[in-house]
Amino acid sequence: MFANFRHTMAWLHTWFGLALGLVLMVVFFFGSLSVFDREIDRWAIPDTRYEPQPMPSFDKMLAPIFKDMQPDAAARAMTAPLADGPLPERFDTPRSWGAYTTHRDPVLLLFAGYEVPHAKDHETAIWANRTVDPRTGEALPVDRLKVGSEFFYPLHYSLTLDWKNIGYWIVGFSALMMLMALVTGVIMHRKFFRELFTFRPHKSTQRSMLDLHNLTGVVALPFHFFFAFTGLVIFAYIYFPVMHTQLTPLHDRHEQLEAKETGLPHDRAGVAAPLASVDAMVAEAQRRWAAKGMAGDVGYLNIQHVGDANSYVSVYRAGTDRVQLAGEGIHFKASTGELLREDPPPTVVARINEFLTGLHLQHFKHWLLRWLYVLGGLSGCACIATGLFFFVEKRKRHHAKQGVSGARIVDALAVTVVTGMLVATLSMLIANRLLPDVMPAGWPLRGAMEKTIFWGSWLVAGAHAYLRTAAVAAGRLAPAWREQCLAVAALAVAAPLMNWITTGDHLLRTIGSGYWPVAGADLFMLAGAALAVLAARKLQQRAERPLAVKNVALEAKHA
Amino acid sequence: MTSTTLTHRHIASRTAVALLGGYVFTWGLIALGVALLYSAGMEFHDAEHLSYIVGLLAFLLAFLVAFAARGLRRVALVLVGGGALMAAAASWVQGLIIAAGA
Repeated sequence: MFANFRHTMAWLHTWFGLALGLVLMVVFFFGSLSVFDREIDRWAIPDTRYEPQPMPSFDKMLAPIFKDMQPDAAARAMTAPLADGPLPERFDTPRSWGAYTTHRDPVLLLFAGYEVPHAKDHETAIWANRTVDPRTGEALPVDRLKVGSEFFYPLHYSLTLDWKNIGYWIVGFSALMMLMALVTGVIMHRKFFRELFTFRPHKSTQRSMLDLHNLTGVVALPFHFFFAFTGLVIFAYIYFPVMHTQLTPLHDRHEQLEAKETGLPHDRAGVAAPLASVDAMVAEAQRRWAAKGMAGDVGYLNIQHVGDANSYVSVYRAGTDRVQLAGEGIHFKASTGELLREDPPPTVVARINEFLTGLHLQHFKHWLLRWLYVLGGLSGCACIATGLFFFVEKRKRHHAKQGVSGARIVDALAVTVVTGMLVATLSMLIANRLLPDVMPAGWPLRGAMEKTIFWGSWLVAGAHAYLRTAAVAAGRLAPAWREQCLAVAALAVAAPLMNWITTGDHLLRTIGSGYWPVAGADLFMLAGAALAVLAARKLQQRAERPLAVKNVALEAKHA
Repeated sequence: MTSTTLTHRHIASRTAVALLGGYVFTWGLIALGVALLYSAGMEFHDAEHLSYIVGLLAFLLAFLVAFAARGLRRVALVLVGGGALMAAAASWVQGLIIAAGA
């Protein structure tokens, strides 16, 4: 675009980085929290603070629950437009029943998909979900939101904007721009390695921000590139739905051939058949895994074409001891328990793909690696945030002189996505502890209220950010940063305190009994509070210190 | 990073070619990749995953090239034209596979 290649790369880095950096900040932060989504669930739903459980008996416990499950009002509303005519009162033909758990889940997630009569597309299914206590089979109240796995995690990959999958597209484009920013960031630095090892915390704010931006970007460069790229690979089927549009005939042919080859029926036979003991099939699957030298727990259990002569049961091993996800599927004929198929070892490409996506989704059991993920994700946040700071610092005095408000608007947006996001997250967790157990009649459900408080407090933080960044327009440091840091500190102390008061689980007890899901969440918030106080103090010192004339001259040269 | 020669139209056309051109090119590459690899005997989902991995890297490259290249028209022609050609070729290969299997 410009005559100079490096100049073009720098322009791309600055402007696309700025535009999408705000989204990337959200993606990196909630991605980091999602590493411990199940643990955050425990913090938010105290009734589920017990140890992870193995898959319970299907015959005794799960079968009656599945028979009782029906889609809720939200699922019905979503499916209604996909069918001609009204939906039936009850759905009678289950297409599949599934039960899923992980080594970090005390609760068990059940889902049942039903055929939709008169559906415009015969593949349409309507889903019913239920979360149960695998010790008793008791259902978790539907108004309980799993804050980690049902809110922070979807925020990470779809911003919870579900209309037309628009959130996925925004995040996907941002991920592509993250890759772009990493490549252009490397290209635009002539003295790449010298700059890598430079950090001058006592120089001007602008200098130290740029140093920190380079440091966090480069040290974790492989991490950032890997995660942005594998994130795109995981959802590539949404971004490029080639197999379900242009290549549908090829895809369908493959499915039919596969059904023939594997002996696992693609469709129902239309003849009713009973279900043999699934527990016996699970025991047989575990015996076969053990015989292969890889004894393990069941991670996922699926029954396809329930109640039909073509029905089959698939038992998958939990992937806790390797990077790949659930696998080693063993399939049985549902009516007899006869073995239909044992999945062959994965091919080379499948291994590569599972390695890439598996490393991103991390279902494995490795607590040190989990913490490294969190650190990597937070270093991504630091890289993006310092990039935003640098943008403002570099321009604010210039803009002040010209009387334009560009730097101020960017600073207000940066405050909103950096500290404002923390305010929203912590407010939600505090609301989770303070809202009544059951919301009064006429109010939204408890989980919906928690989400409303999250977005509402973020909005308030944004308004505050805009009002308290007026100083930037005069070329000074915005007080919004310091004030929101203090708010974050107060909230991050309040949340563990509320947890203590409402559940009795204070740190001495949780650490003493080694209950790390809750102790870890509390400690993480307290550490965050300490950092926020430190940041507020530093900001105070910066605001009070007159800018040395020498620094101004230096910055002018670098601008 | 300011330039006197940089107009809004300039930026908009570069961005459009980078995004839309890059998208069309990547779509074509993925479609043709799946069709060819599958016809060469690779398992369907393997062909799909491999094409996605290669395709997404190509998108990143196409995006950068659309900004870095001197002549925008040639880039647009290669990305959109190349993408459309590859997509058409993919449909043709698909037709051959289906016809052979039926």
